[in-house]
Amino acid sequence: MSTAVLLVALGLEIAGLVAGTGNFAASAQQKPETAEVKIDNFSFGPETLTVPVGSTVTWTNRDDVPHTVVSTEGVFKSKVLYADERFSFTFSKAGSYPYFCSIHPKMTGKVVAQ
Amino acid sequence: MSVNPFDIRTVILAKHAQHVVLIHFPIALFIAAVAFDYLGHWTRSRTLAAAAHFNLLLAAASTVPVVATGLAAWQWALEGQKLKGILLMHLVLGCISSALIWLVFLIHLRVRRHPEVPLPKYRLPFEALAVLIVGFTGHLGGFLSGVNGPG
Repeated sequence: MSTAVLLVALGLEIAGLVAGTGNFAASAQQKPETAEVKIDNFSFGPETLTVPVGSTVTWTNRDDVPHTVVSTEGVFKSKVLYADERFSFTFSKAGSYPYFCSIHPKMTGKVVAQ
Repeated sequence: MSVNPFDIRTVILAKHAQHVVLIHFPIALFIAAVAFDYLGHWTRSRTLAAAAHFNLLLAAASTVPVVATGLAAWQWALEGQKLKGILLMHLVLGCISSALIWLVFLIHLRVRRHPEVPLPKYRLPFEALAVLIVGFTGHLGGFLSGVNGPG
């Protein structure tokens, strides 16, 4: 009887540990969020943005001059963004996403989804 | 980080080198031509008149690649999407400027082919107006490209 109780207790302990580990793993994974990149003074700010996978990034053009947001690898591409216009993209896969402005190609930035 | 060097469209349009560089030729040649024409008119110098003519010839010829690369940038970099605001104004004024340069050149060419016909005096205010429009278009282009700013 006592052995049976001990085994049950051990089983419960293991179950608890596994569940606890699962909870820990779940809490370690960051929740998707929304982030903003400002286009100002012919630059993207922040130039490199790190977000959890599933996050939506919104670019807002604060310049008087039109800009675009174009993925170097062709993952996303905005239309021309005039003053105060926005473009959003959701990063559903982990990875590094470099991008640039096709009107001013020396304007570059990067989103890291992890 | 840099743009993909193996993408032919990116290579051609890299940093807008073609349009942004080429545009300086018709602007400089046209303004020089008008200056020579004014000086030639006041001094009655045939040498200056000839200089004006050849500068106009080169200015008109150089508008062709400038317009072509500008339209190519619109079609490729912006995928031909409908323009508005400063981009549309730059496109329209760019076309008007090119047409004005050709018109001034053709006025001079006509006289060049018929030396007995004097250059019409109306060309002088017309040339001045064209210089103003070309200058304004160039200013818009500089603003767009970031030359007039920190970009």
